[in-house]
Formats: sequence, structure tokens, C-alpha cells
Amino acid sequence: MAEPMKIRATLQGDVADVRILMLHPMETGQRKDAKGEIVPLHFIQSVVVTHNGKTVLDAQWSQAVSRNPFLGLRVKGAKAGDKVSVTWVDNQGEKRTDEVTVAAAS
Amino acid sequence: MRKAWLKWTILGAPALIAAGCATYPDQPTTRQIAEKMVSEGFSAPMPALLKRLVQDKSQQICSRIGDAKLTQEEATEVVKLARESIKYPASGKLVGDWKRGDQLAHDGAGDRIQFGRLEKRKENGGLCQNCHALAPGEINVGNVGPSLTGYGLQRGNSEAIAKLTYERIYNAWAYSPCSNMPRLGATGHLTPEQVTHMVAYLIDPASPINQR
Amino acid sequence: MRRTREGIAAAAIACVAFCGTALAQSKADDGLAVGRQMLAEDNPGELWIDQGKKLFYEKRGPKNASLEQCDFGLGPGKLEGASAQLPRYFPDTDKVQDLESRLLTCMVQLQGFKREDIVKTAISPAGSRGSDVEALAIYITSRSNGMTMNVRLAHPKEREMYKAGEYLFHRRSGQTDFACVTCHGEPDKRIRLQDLVHMTDKKQIQEVVSTWPAYRGAHYVVRTMQWRLYDCFWQMRLPELEYASDVSIALTTYLHYQGNGAVIRVPGFKR
Repeated sequence: MAEPMKIRATLQGDVADVRILMLHPMETGQRKDAKGEIVPLHFIQSVVVTHNGKTVLDAQWSQAVSRNPFLGLRVKGAKAGDKVSVTWVDNQGEKRTDEVTVAAAS
Repeated sequence: MRKAWLKWTILGAPALIAAGCATYPDQPTTRQIAEKMVSEGFSAPMPALLKRLVQDKSQQICSRIGDAKLTQEEATEVVKLARESIKYPASGKLVGDWKRGDQLAHDGAGDRIQFGRLEKRKENGGLCQNCHALAPGEINVGNVGPSLTGYGLQRGNSEAIAKLTYERIYNAWAYSPCSNMPRLGATGHLTPEQVTHMVAYLIDPASPINQR
Repeated sequence: MRRTREGIAAAAIACVAFCGTALAQSKADDGLAVGRQMLAEDNPGELWIDQGKKLFYEKRGPKNASLEQCDFGLGPGKLEGASAQLPRYFPDTDKVQDLESRLLTCMVQLQGFKREDIVKTAISPAGSRGSDVEALAIYITSRSNGMTMNVRLAHPKEREMYKAGEYLFHRRSGQTDFACVTCHGEPDKRIRLQDLVHMTDKKQIQEVVSTWPAYRGAHYVVRTMQWRLYDCFWQMRLPELEYASDVSIALTTYLHYQGNGAVIRVPGFKR
């Protein structure tokens, strides 16, 4: 699993507007499959966003976050060419990291 | 001069005819082509279910494109066939239990075919809420059909109204030929007994539909 | 470097599931414009476009070939504007084909896949990772983003297909006596709280044809026009529409031609 994210980071003045699309089942552990068995808990537990290596967001998520989640944030003090990296780790130990370069305002 | 004119006409005629032939197929041809597509384009877990695709006479008449209007003869025929289709419950009692009718009115499931299986439940839902407003204050209701809120308040609950209501639900086309409303009883989607519960739901003064 | 104990960071918007909230208004979606705008800007369907691009250029199947030689009507490998002129007639198969049936043709002929195998998995289960076909279909359609739908009915078979589609759109059948036009032939109608597209209205049909394939929020996957038609027949209590059948291509031809002039913008987002 651990599918690639899609990250956009566009500059608005000195703020980078960061939009992240993730693919993840985010199973609540309460849903039953067609056979009537519980689908196991499987959700993103932590999300870390860094800007040029410095952590700017460190979040703990729960199974309340829905499937294929979207995360948006704004990072102050950004410049075009800066690196924004996103890492998620889920409760089954899977992880995914993707990185983008901040694009200049168009 | 005349010969040249003749020559060009002879050469030009096929082109003109060909251009004329690149028109759209006529209605009977389209019907033939499309019906062949229908016969080849579907599958079902039991072959008998494929019969659902076969149109009856009324459906054929009622499949009209654009502003095409029903002729007087067509309307009369559809109404006649609809009237003939109406079956009443064995008990003769047209007004059933409004509580069951309430349940059926909000039930949109039953008899669908998916992934090679037929959705068979104890009974088919009435599908009413999909298209009609029902009890006052209900929000999750459609508007494809007219509002049924206060149906009994407006009409009373006489035997005549019970019979009219029963017939309209059993086969709406007996009153409104080619109406958008499914001929729920006539097509077998609902049983006569189920229709009596719908009638009660609509006309019983105690029904939620008739509360203020 | 503070670890936030809250489940969701303040700036985060985590709910993508598009919940239709009940509103006592004449049109069900008036209050949802903000939500729609957000979903339009950040649509999980984009992830399927990325996946589809990867699949398109990858050497796959028994013949170990990519889809780069696939002709969608503008020449092998020409994707810009290709989906905007589909369905259309193809001389090599002597048939009018829509995007998905043409994709099937290429996956079989160029890559050596078995048709039955693709058809079996073309429509993915809700909540799954999605099928290859869904990803490829939305990628190819995205290569027409910004361009206008322009189905031309030049070839006699294209005209037959269009007329058949028009006939089928109005064909009443089954225990519901429904035709497509029964629900989609009038303005301002809805089934429960789901607004119904008035498909015989130019603007609304344009809106429809320009936004498929789409991310279906309730299914968490990208859905295509083939799926949408299949699902309608399911609701009408009719038998199962065969994938890439002539019925589906006829209806698609009719709807796309009616929607000519629409500006394509995928991924769409449906509830």
C-alpha cells in the first residue's frame, strides 16, 4: 500500500499555501465486511510536515478522519524553491513520504 | 453545351444522392437498431429477469421523444389497458394499515439486480419518498411527483376516495395515461395488499401525512 | 516543535466525504456551494489521474507494451482533445466506440490482455484502490481538460448510434415504467435530496458531460460514465447493463452530442 500523495505548494506573498491529497482507507475498526466480519482498524496515526527540514506541523490523527483525507495548511516565511515534505505513519506501521518544491506565485 | 451540362448532371447526381443518404436513419430503422442493442446489451442472474426489458403495449405508446403528444386513440388505449389491469385484494378491503403504509412509503429498496444477484427481500418498498413529499416536516423527500402532504385532509376518507386512491396507486395510467408514476400494482412491484396499506397511509386521519 | 494533542491541526480540513446535509430549501444544494468549491479545488480524483498516467506509459500485459500507440481517433498516441470527440466511428473495428470501449480495444490488441479479464474488474468495488480502467479513463479524459466537447455525427454509424441513444433515453420499460427522461426530462426535480440533472437542457447536460469521470465521494473511488449508466439501470430495477455495450455507447453518444460545447474539466466530484 502506502500510495503516493499529491502535494501542491504555491506562494502567496511569503506564505506557502500547501494542499495535500492522501490515499488511505482510514478504517474505523467498526465497519463490517460482506461476510459480517469487522474490517480491522487501519488509519493514519501521525502526519508530519516539514519546511526545509524544519517541522511545521506535527499532528496525531484518529480513525475519525475520513478515507482519502485532505490536509491543507499555510506555512509562513516561505520562498519559491523551498522544500516541503510530508510524512504519514499509520497504525499498522506503514509510512509514506512525499516532497515538493514551493512554486512561485503565478 | 448541352452535352457538358448532361455530363455534369450525370456525374453530380450520385454525389447529390450520396449526400442525401448521409442523413439520419428513419424512426422504424432506429427502433430496430436500438431494440437489437437492448436484446444484446444486458445480463441477469436468471434469464426470466431479462423480460423486464421487454416493453408492453402501453410502454411502447408512452415512450415519446421531445414534444411528441399522445393522440386521442393512444390515450384511450392506454387508459383502457390500465383499467383492465386493476386487481383488487381478495378481502375486498381497500384500506389497510397506515403504519405499514408509512413504512413502505419510506422504503426505496427491493427487486434490484446487481453483481449477478437479485435483491429479494420480504417485500418490495413503495419508493414513494423518492418522488413525493409525505408527512409535514419531512425533509428527505423528492419532488418528481406532486406533494402528498395532507392528502386525506384534502379529500376525506370516503369509500369513493379509497377506491380512487387504490386505483391510482395500482395503476396511475388508468387516470393519467403515460404519467411519470410507475404502475406499481399492475407491474407487480407492489401486491394488492401492500397497496391497501398505502391507501390507509394516505387517507387515514391518524396517519402522519394528515397531521398538521 | 510542540506535539499537538488535538486530533486535527487547526488549518487542516480532513473530511472529504461529501455529506448532503438536510436543508429545508427549495433547491437542496444552495448552502453547499462553499463545500463544492473546496472539493473542486482539492479532489482525490487527481490521485487517479496520476495513477492513470503511470499506467498509460508503462509496458504491461502479455505483449509487454504501453498504450502509447492507442488511437483514440486523432492518431496513435494523440491524447490532447481525444476524449472530447468521443464517441466516434473507428475504421479498424468498424464500430462507434466511446472512451472505455476504445481503451478495451487497445488493452487487448496492443497489450494482449483478455477482454473478459478487463471487463470483470473495470468497475472497482466501492472503497477499493480503484481499477486500472478507471485510472486510465480519467487520465485520458484529463488530457482534454479545458477543451470543448465536440462529437461530430459525420459517419452514418455515428448517426445511427445517436438516434439509437435518443430512442433509448426515452424508452420506458420494467416494473418502474421509467425511461431516462422520466427523471431527467424536467427542470428543478430531485429524488429525495439528490438534485436531478435536467438532461434535455443544454446547460445542464453540458455540466454532466464535462465532469465525468468523477470521484464519487460515497464510494471513495473514481467512477466513469459506464458505471453511471449501469447504476441507473440498477435503480430502475432493470437487468445489468453490459460493460461497453452498444446500449451504453448509444446513450453516451446521444448525451455527449447534446453536451457539445461543454468545457471538459475532470476530475468531477459527485456525492
